[in-house]
Amino acid sequence: MTSWNVVAAQESRDLWIGGRGPVLIFGYSILLSAITYLAASNQAMNFLEQREAVNLMVQVALAVGVLLTVVVSADTISGERERGTLEALLLTPAPRRAIVMGKLAAAATIWLACLIVAMPYLWVLGRGVSGALQAAVLTLVVGTLVAVGLGGVGMIFSGWSNTNRTSLASGLLLLLVLFAPTQLPALPRTGFGQLLNRINPIGSALHYMSQVLVARRGWTQDLGYLISPLVIAVAAVGALLVAAPRLVRLTAGTR
Amino acid sequence: MTTIEASGLSKRYGARTALDGLTFTADTGEVIGLLGPNGAGKTTAIRLLTTILEPTGGTFTVAGIPGDQPQRIRQRIGVLPESAGYPGRQSGAEYLRYAARLFGRSRPDARTAAERLLADVGLSERAGTRIATYSRGMKQRLGIARALVNDPAVVFLDEPTSGLDPAGQGEILATISDVARRRGATVVLSTHTLTEVEQVCDNLLILDRGKLRAAGPIAEIVAGAGSLSSAFLHLTGQDSHD
Repeated sequence: MTSWNVVAAQESRDLWIGGRGPVLIFGYSILLSAITYLAASNQAMNFLEQREAVNLMVQVALAVGVLLTVVVSADTISGERERGTLEALLLTPAPRRAIVMGKLAAAATIWLACLIVAMPYLWVLGRGVSGALQAAVLTLVVGTLVAVGLGGVGMIFSGWSNTNRTSLASGLLLLLVLFAPTQLPALPRTGFGQLLNRINPIGSALHYMSQVLVARRGWTQDLGYLISPLVIAVAAVGALLVAAPRLVRLTAGTR
Repeated sequence: MTTIEASGLSKRYGARTALDGLTFTADTGEVIGLLGPNGAGKTTAIRLLTTILEPTGGTFTVAGIPGDQPQRIRQRIGVLPESAGYPGRQSGAEYLRYAARLFGRSRPDARTAAERLLADVGLSERAGTRIATYSRGMKQRLGIARALVNDPAVVFLDEPTSGLDPAGQGEILATISDVARRRGATVVLSTHTLTEVEQVCDNLLILDRGKLRAAGPIAEIVAGAGSLSSAFLHLTGQDSHD
C-alpha cells in the first residue's frame, strides 16, 4: 500500500469513527427528509412534477454534499496545524503529494456518503428504481467532479492558512459566490448570464443535470456544461500535486 | 562513527537570526544535550536537522545522508517534537500503527511494532484507550514510542520532560538512556534543565540567541566554573544580571 492510501484510510477513520462525519451526515439526512416530505406529501406545497422533484433532490444533494466536502477539506491542513499534529506527519517519509492526495480522498468520502444517503429519497421521489438510478449515476458523475474540484480548492485554502477559521471562511465565501448566481432564475437566458453560468462549476453542473432529468435531453447533448466542473477538478488536483511541498508545511507561508 | 555532522547551519527569518552558524558532530550511541535558555535556537536546530525547516545557510548530514535528501533522512530519524499534539480520538495502538504504516511497514508488522513499543514505554494496558484520556506523562511516553517506530539511527527529543512531575521526568530520562544503550541510536536531547543533561548526556552544546557558546564533554565545559549551572550562566551571559 502506498503512502496516500495509508493517509486516506486513517483520515477516513478519523472522519467517520468518532469524528464529524456522522454528525454532518445526520444533519444532512434531516434536511433531505424535510424536503422529501414537502415535495411528496404536502398537498399545499406539492407543486412539483415527479421529474422536478427528483431534480430538486439532486440539486440539494449536490449543493449540500459539496458544502460538506469543502468544510471537511478546509480543515485538513490548517486544522492539523492548530491541533499540533501536523509536525508528526511531516516527520514521516510520506511524500507531501501523497499526504494531500490521501487527505483529499478522505474528504471526498463525505460527498459519497451524501450521495448514498440521498438514494432512498431519490427512490421515493422517482417512484421507482430506474428513475432513482439514473439520477444517482448522474449525480455521482457530475457531483464528484464538483466535489473534488471545490474540495481541492478548500484544501489549498487550508494549506495557505494557519487557522482553521480562515480556511473555512475562505471556502464558504467561495461557495457563496458560486452558488448565489444559480438562484437567479433569469440568469441563464441572457448571453452574459449564460456565460457566467457556464464558467461557474456549480451553476453549470446544476444546469446540466436539470437538462437531463427535467428536459429529458440526452447525456451527450449538453456536455459543454461539464467543461467547467471538469476544469475545476483537474485544475484543483493538479495545483495540489504541484504545490504540495509548499502547502504542507509546519507554518503557512514560511520555509 | 559520526551520525550527525552540521557545518555553519543557519536559519534567518527576514532580519531575525534564529540560528547562526551551528557546527558540531555527534557519534553513534551518544546522547548529546542541546542546552539553552528560551529562544536560544534549540527547536530551530532540531527542525533544521529533522528537515522540517530549510536552512538559509550551512550544510548537514544525518545518519550519513546529506541534508538535501529530506525524505531519506526522515526514514532514518525519530523525533519527539516540542509541544507535540496528539489525535485525542485515536487509541495509543492505532496512533503507533498509523506511524509505522507511514514508514512503510506492512499491516501485520505495524501491529507487532506498535505492541512492542507500547510495552517498552509501559503503555500496554492503555493500548486500546483513547489518547485524550492519557496523562501528559503518558502522552510523552507515547511520543517517544512513536519516535522509535522506524528503529531510527538518530532520535531527536525536544524538551521531552516539559510539564512532567519528578517521577515522570525520571521515567522519560530512563527511557532515553535505554534508547541510546540498547538500540545504539544517537540521541539529541533538547532541554533547559541542567540536571537532566548531567544525568543522561555524554556531550553538550550550549546555545544562546542562536549562537553556539560551547560544545564538548560536560566535564570540559564545567572545568573551571565549578558546576554546570555556573558554566551555563556564564556562557549565556546570565550571571551578569545579578
